[in-house]
Amino acid sequence: MSNGNGNGSDTPQYDVVIVGAGVSGNLIAKQLGLAGKKVLILEAGPAVPDSREQYMENFYLALAKTPESPYPSLAGRIGPGVGTLPNPSEIPTPRATVLSIGAPPDVSHLIQSETAGVSGTTPDNQPEVRQLQFSSTYDRIGGGTAWHWLGSVPRLVPHDLTMKTTYGVFYDWPIEYSEMQTLWGLAESEIGVAASVTQQVPLQAAIGMVYPPGYEYPMGPIPSSVVDQTVSNGVSGMSVPGEGSEGGKEYSVFVTNTPAGRNSEPYQDRRVCAGNTNCIPICPIQAKWDPTVTLGDALNTGNVTVSYQSVAVNIAVDGNNVTQVDYLKWSYDDKGNLQSTPASVTGKIYVSACHAIENAKLLLLSNDQKGIANKSDQVGRNLMDHVLYLAWALAPSQVWGYRGPLATGGIESLRDGEFRTNRAAFRMEIGNEGWNFACGDPYTTTLDFVTGSNGSQLNSGPTRLGGTALVNTLNDRLTRQFRFGLLLEQAPQADNRVTIDQNNTDGLKIPRPHVDYGFDKYTLEGFRVAAETCSAIFQQMGAQEFTQPTVNPYPKDKYPDGKTMGPGDFNYEKKMYHMYGAGHIMGTHRMGTDPCTSVVDATQKSHDVQNLWIVGSGSFPTVATANPTLTIMALAFKSAEAIKAALGA
Amino acid sequence: MTTTPSTGGPSDSVLQDFADMSAALTGFQSSFLRPFLDPTNLSEVFYNFAVAQVGQTAMDNLLAAFRSRKSQTPPLTAQQIADSLLEVTTPTGKESNQAQLAQAVILMWYLGSWYTPAYQTANKQPGQVLQVISSQAYTKSLVWNVAQAHPMGFSAFTFGYWSQPPAGLATFGVNTGGGQ
Repeated sequence: MSNGNGNGSDTPQYDVVIVGAGVSGNLIAKQLGLAGKKVLILEAGPAVPDSREQYMENFYLALAKTPESPYPSLAGRIGPGVGTLPNPSEIPTPRATVLSIGAPPDVSHLIQSETAGVSGTTPDNQPEVRQLQFSSTYDRIGGGTAWHWLGSVPRLVPHDLTMKTTYGVFYDWPIEYSEMQTLWGLAESEIGVAASVTQQVPLQAAIGMVYPPGYEYPMGPIPSSVVDQTVSNGVSGMSVPGEGSEGGKEYSVFVTNTPAGRNSEPYQDRRVCAGNTNCIPICPIQAKWDPTVTLGDALNTGNVTVSYQSVAVNIAVDGNNVTQVDYLKWSYDDKGNLQSTPASVTGKIYVSACHAIENAKLLLLSNDQKGIANKSDQVGRNLMDHVLYLAWALAPSQVWGYRGPLATGGIESLRDGEFRTNRAAFRMEIGNEGWNFACGDPYTTTLDFVTGSNGSQLNSGPTRLGGTALVNTLNDRLTRQFRFGLLLEQAPQADNRVTIDQNNTDGLKIPRPHVDYGFDKYTLEGFRVAAETCSAIFQQMGAQEFTQPTVNPYPKDKYPDGKTMGPGDFNYEKKMYHMYGAGHIMGTHRMGTDPCTSVVDATQKSHDVQNLWIVGSGSFPTVATANPTLTIMALAFKSAEAIKAALGA
Repeated sequence: MTTTPSTGGPSDSVLQDFADMSAALTGFQSSFLRPFLDPTNLSEVFYNFAVAQVGQTAMDNLLAAFRSRKSQTPPLTAQQIADSLLEVTTPTGKESNQAQLAQAVILMWYLGSWYTPAYQTANKQPGQVLQVISSQAYTKSLVWNVAQAHPMGFSAFTFGYWSQPPAGLATFGVNTGGGQ
């Protein structure tokens, strides 16, 4: 491949070449830039815009206000010509989108089963569900997927790092909790986390959450919503019983304020949160930290350069060393035709930071598709999500959702316990957006009461209303809506796997990711308990539950040929469930101490390739129940220090 | 601001009738939907959009039906006018094309989008959305007021408001008088 940027000598062009301008890549670039190292970031997607106004306009005009809707290359913005999702084989940087879950390859970037989940048993007669649709999505743009992260930044709890030692399942992390505490502190400072250590104190007895003596978050907490306050009052004194050998133990259920990556006071030239209730898909005022903040800092060091619209296609390796990264620089000509030019770039050290699925894809594509950094055969395996169980209800009195950040509180007290020997734990996030996630409200309920339909289940009469009667009815229903979103700890499974699909390529003729996905008994049992716990809490609160097992997430006029079950639906013990993606894509290049069973070491350096770091949530050996961005950043700080040391800084 | 329309556009009195009819249908105050100072001019935007979708005759007939009910003696309440135009006592699915247009008018104001009346769709089903009419149609959409909230992504409130109950529904532009 031609060396488009080459200087013709043996001197590397940069100290470090990073693939991906997202959470990890930008933070590592910033740390190296501050240390005087010359860094190039190759970003597949378009540049960070000068202002987010165009992204906001995209969002306003999107019919389906999905996480991807504000961002370039397509989707929610449908307008005239409804249903025109782009064909991933025709565009340079296709991405996984909510609107394409379960769709065929001419719509979905990810190649995967189009069925509902298939229930069965493993060879050793354990229940399992296979052929599920992996339902988390990601963007390929300057700034990365965390343009639309929620902003919740709980830390892991100590046992999350020692699942093998403590509970005899899965793997231990190769990092001590005390070191993670230091790294989380750095990440919390970078983000500007709003929280109070004092408010987290009850979690010490419940789940072992401890902070170093004297630690304080960078700013005071985001106030808890009326929804949080109502749930907190409603579960006062409540506990749920332990399971199995834990008979007699009671797990107390209580609400705590969630540490937040959004400003409670001005921080780093960004405003305080105004409660736009839009952290996903886009904060209109950047009160929520996002990776473009850190990218700006990186560029301001004067040592970091970004090459946008540059899709890495090969990490070239000679022996145990990366020699260059080959990439395609793409653009559209005046007539709208996609063009690309091959180029290469050299550095002393290379960092693959393009998120869990694209990291795996790039590693597997490299070396003429023989793969690199994969002597363990674990690249692409152990794909995990915080599979999300969603439960929703009408509170007995008004709670006034649709106000404030999307989530300000949760029930953390069920995130750890001996039950983790047998089934997934979960953290319960309390939503502040009514039934927006649950059933597309306030749109669905409004349509129901105006046209006489019943998509919300709230108009079973059915009635059709107008005028003041419509106002009063909708006000009563909408202001009592709330939901829980449960982040379930998914088990690492070797057969939950990203591979490359030779038969389906993108607009640059690059093979696209193929995903095989399902749940084992550990995860399924977590779902069962998750559903039971939500119902018990609703009952305790006097709330009326409306959780539906089946929600069809895509336009019914296009898929799935009249099937009653859709993507994300599955049966377990004769009960129907629906799982959502949490947007937390993890586990495809897990870290560990043993090169035979893991891909990277504790600094996220490849075991096999000496000057290659593979970073991000793909490194998580287990996923526990904490939203991952804080830990992604913590690990990036550790990687940056290791890279500096390797460069002789 | 109320202005004389350019040639071919709806007259001021037509737009005022459209706003008054919209007020009855939506349960909001007419002066809230079409204020004297009206930089977004949504009443005209919505009127024109609807006419482009269903034709001038259908809109003229709906407005005529509104005017006749408004001038009845003894006077009808706004709720009675809305119920009549929407044919709320008719079984769902049997309401007239005109009532379906009245539904679409509510949905424009509430949701900022055009929902094609069932009679104009291939399968005669309601709820099929064509497009968000404009970004201002979204940021001014009324269902968020009904929820005592704000459009997601467009908050005029300030830090911490969510920790307290909102101001009363009456402060969100709804019609509390029971009449015009």
